[in-house]
Amino acid sequence: MSAEFVKKALVIGGGIAGIQAALDIADGGYQVILVERSPSIGGHMIQYAEVFPTLDCPQCIMTPKMVEIAQHPNVTLMTHAEVRSVSGTAGNFEVEIVQKARKVDHKKCNGCGTCWQKCPEKVPSEYNEGMAKRTAVYIPFPQAVPAKPVIDQPHCRYIRYRQFMAEKRAGKKPPECRICEKLCPVGAIDWEQPDEIVREKVGAIVLATGFDLMPFSRIPEYAEDPDVLNGIQFERLLSPGGPTAGAVIRPSDGKTPKEVVFVACCGSRDPERGVSYCSRVCCMYLAKQALLYKHAVPDGQAYVFYIDTRSTGKGYEEFIQRAVGEGVLYLRGKVSRIFREGDKLRVYGADTLSGKRVEIAADLVVLGMAIVPSDGAGELFRKLGVSADEAGFVTERHPKFHPLETKVPGIFVAGMAQGPKDIPDAVAQGSGAAGRVLAFFAQGAPSEKQAVPV
Amino acid sequence: MTKREERIGIFVCHCGLNIAGTVDVQKVVEEIRKYPGVAHAEHYMYMCSDPGQELMRKAIREKGLTAVVNANCSPSLHEKTFRRVCSSAGLNPYRCEIANIREQCSWPHAHDKEAATRKAIAIIKTTVERLRLNMMLTPLVIPLTKRALVIGGGIAGIQAALDIADGGYEVALVEKSPVLGGHVMELSATFPTLESPRDFLLPRIKEVISHPNIHVYLDSEVQEVAGYVGSFAVKIRQNGEVSEEEVGAIVTAPGFDLLPREKLPVYPDDPDIVDSLQFERTLAGKVARPSDGRVPRDVVFIQCAGSRDPEHGMPYCSRVCCMYTAKQVLLYRKAVPDGQAYVCYMDMRSDAKGFEEFAQQVMSHDGVLYIRGNPSRVFRDGDKLKIWAADTLSGKNLEISADMVVLALAMVPRAGTRELARKLNISVDQHGFLTEAHIKLRPVESLTSGIFLAGTAQWPRDIPDTIASASAAASKVLSLFSRKELLHEPTTAHVDEEVCSGCGVCVSVCTFKAISIDEKWKVAVVNPALCEGCGSCAATCPSKAMQHRNWSHRQLFAMIDVAGGGGV
Repeated sequence: MSAEFVKKALVIGGGIAGIQAALDIADGGYQVILVERSPSIGGHMIQYAEVFPTLDCPQCIMTPKMVEIAQHPNVTLMTHAEVRSVSGTAGNFEVEIVQKARKVDHKKCNGCGTCWQKCPEKVPSEYNEGMAKRTAVYIPFPQAVPAKPVIDQPHCRYIRYRQFMAEKRAGKKPPECRICEKLCPVGAIDWEQPDEIVREKVGAIVLATGFDLMPFSRIPEYAEDPDVLNGIQFERLLSPGGPTAGAVIRPSDGKTPKEVVFVACCGSRDPERGVSYCSRVCCMYLAKQALLYKHAVPDGQAYVFYIDTRSTGKGYEEFIQRAVGEGVLYLRGKVSRIFREGDKLRVYGADTLSGKRVEIAADLVVLGMAIVPSDGAGELFRKLGVSADEAGFVTERHPKFHPLETKVPGIFVAGMAQGPKDIPDAVAQGSGAAGRVLAFFAQGAPSEKQAVPV
Repeated sequence: MTKREERIGIFVCHCGLNIAGTVDVQKVVEEIRKYPGVAHAEHYMYMCSDPGQELMRKAIREKGLTAVVNANCSPSLHEKTFRRVCSSAGLNPYRCEIANIREQCSWPHAHDKEAATRKAIAIIKTTVERLRLNMMLTPLVIPLTKRALVIGGGIAGIQAALDIADGGYEVALVEKSPVLGGHVMELSATFPTLESPRDFLLPRIKEVISHPNIHVYLDSEVQEVAGYVGSFAVKIRQNGEVSEEEVGAIVTAPGFDLLPREKLPVYPDDPDIVDSLQFERTLAGKVARPSDGRVPRDVVFIQCAGSRDPEHGMPYCSRVCCMYTAKQVLLYRKAVPDGQAYVCYMDMRSDAKGFEEFAQQVMSHDGVLYIRGNPSRVFRDGDKLKIWAADTLSGKNLEISADMVVLALAMVPRAGTRELARKLNISVDQHGFLTEAHIKLRPVESLTSGIFLAGTAQWPRDIPDTIASASAAASKVLSLFSRKELLHEPTTAHVDEEVCSGCGVCVSVCTFKAISIDEKWKVAVVNPALCEGCGSCAATCPSKAMQHRNWSHRQLFAMIDVAGGGGV
């Protein structure tokens, strides 16, 4: 092969797997571009209240890594950016990355926070899963990296005003706000800033695109109700930095919930309504959430509906036993219906061990929704020519013996992009994919064995 | 020591509103400016940002600062950043210290702004007192041998060795047995493709043997390990002969054993009761009853044999048994089309890609019955084995007559792992599995720098997870070897030999084996390359002969004095 061997890597996705992969490649002495589509790195992990089984605070253990990314001389961090196209082969890929317009000049911005404190437009916060508001010019959360804002264009009053005027639409004009621009002490607001295309050459790519939760709507038997939450929403409710500063309340009326039902396998292991596979992490995080709920509301009752408890990691089995020991009631069975009845949510379930029907009047229900590939990941995989399974997770070069490589030479995979897994496994895969990239870059030419399937 | 004229600069960070929302940073600066020795104080929105760093540099140069206190977040986040800034401004980096006024002040005291402001001032004052007595230090330079040792020639060790060797460095691979391949070589087929693992493994083993960067020691054991990251001296015993290896990093992958059957009295010693690895060999050859060679018509597979069983076996789940049992059931039914398989299980744990679908397929297969409940008794009754089980779903008791019983015995660390861990000075948990540096975020590192973990010696796991952990360990080694030299923090312990009585308390508390007693002079000696600066020895030394650089007793007392007088 005569093409130049570019010893520079692209990591797509700034969650824990991508962060780890980028840091390890950078520490190995090679340049890395880390592309994250949201305005900050951190991924889902940064949203959690505490992580099992040690109950560490993820903000505390993760922010040092995020800061390291921002300061590492070998890492180019591109947030609010997306990979648009990829061509070429292992050792010499050409990628086009769209740096979406932030409308804030990050070279001028000093992150003072005036704009996001004064912006009058309030938008549901993605970080808080819609349970709190952010402003239209915003950083997603206080520990964001970079700690400089972007303007959310569809929600910005002035941008809407400009569009309205440009299209010469009829009807009521949106206000011509521009408060951020007027108050910015360094003149960093830049309404004319366009989307920018950045072209880069890289030799290897690591896919770490992460996951989403399956939407509620897939299970019509479970009511859509303010007091029915998914796992990540409940994490925000438990988090000291969350919308309630860690107070566990019923979103509908702010009262302390005394009966809380946790339902595992919502959409998982359910090929008819959801997905056929197990989402691997729900048993453990629901046990943790039930335990944290018991700590927050000691006289409250927590129920967990499950099919099989799956506690296979280090200290996990013991952790479930701890939850049981602290009064969490485990019921082996599925929940057939959840609906509102006055002040309460009715939960119909079964206890397959006693063979009885169970009915609970609950204040709050937490659904362990199935893990699905991150929105838009499928489209990205298609652009890269990377094959995915029926569920949309990346197919490995070999499911047993080449778990970190895709079928495309030079493209590797880590974390939930490959399938549901917990944090240590995602971190190990991040490091593992980095190891494969480092071994690849040490070869004389890309045509040697790492690039070509055996 | 003559007192130098200190000109200390104080830089207070707002951290957006994280600090400034609670602590009155303006007041902090005004107060601290009056403190003896403070020549400069200012506050800024984000001191870690480029403009913040530039403002520090400018102040250090223009005001001729001799030392710096950064009042901001935890030192784990930005100590390095600010020490680097000091270096670039011509100041010794160990003349910079962090006063943590976020995690230790503004966050926990958000409800009381006035008290938080007072506490922030007190924290800065104590840091100033400490800083006055700080020594100017330079990092230790440790030689780096760019050659690795991999312990264990199973699938984990093979993957780690190949990745490191492909990365361009030499590897010594030590395997206890006469062959490479480990337990994976014993398997009949692997899920889900049902192909023989040999098809994959044999070419990999050939690659290892012929790799110019890999030296394989078979029939060998690690006898002794001395030294530290960058330069370990390892003695390897092979057929009674001892070779020595100099390596810079070690990957530990000794693998697993099955729990010895004798630990589980419920299963009698009977030729037709076999463990799952024995049954893999049965499946690879002719499916026959060991006692008389007849084809077994009824086979009972018992999962959680010693797993999730704190009374007789191990309290944890062995993670892989549900899936390999399902695979064995399928292969058995293929081999014996009219056979009947029973599986006693507690919870089905089919939690990775394709697992659930595979398990469901096996559970609904003809001639396969899954029973949720573990047997209470297994005994011989003439030609048959009798199994008493409970089906917890129907609440009924069952008696099964079987020709063979297969026990999915718990996975335990390989015999000798504790001993090996002791030689390497890495820790194990109560079961003997190797302990990682941080269970979430540092899963393949041990707490001893330069020693990494891979595979099932750390915890039960399947082949892909084992390979991922091995490549991860290799990446850590490759990162380490990509450096020109190793720098070690100079903030270590040191001994005042005039005062030391050689009592050895420090030796007993040092987790890093960094201290020894000089037999001739009867004094403690610290190896600074091994010392991680934890401070245990300094805290326990009865004669205060052991001191921690830049955390001396004098410094600590100076801090306590000012904190006590600070009215916190």
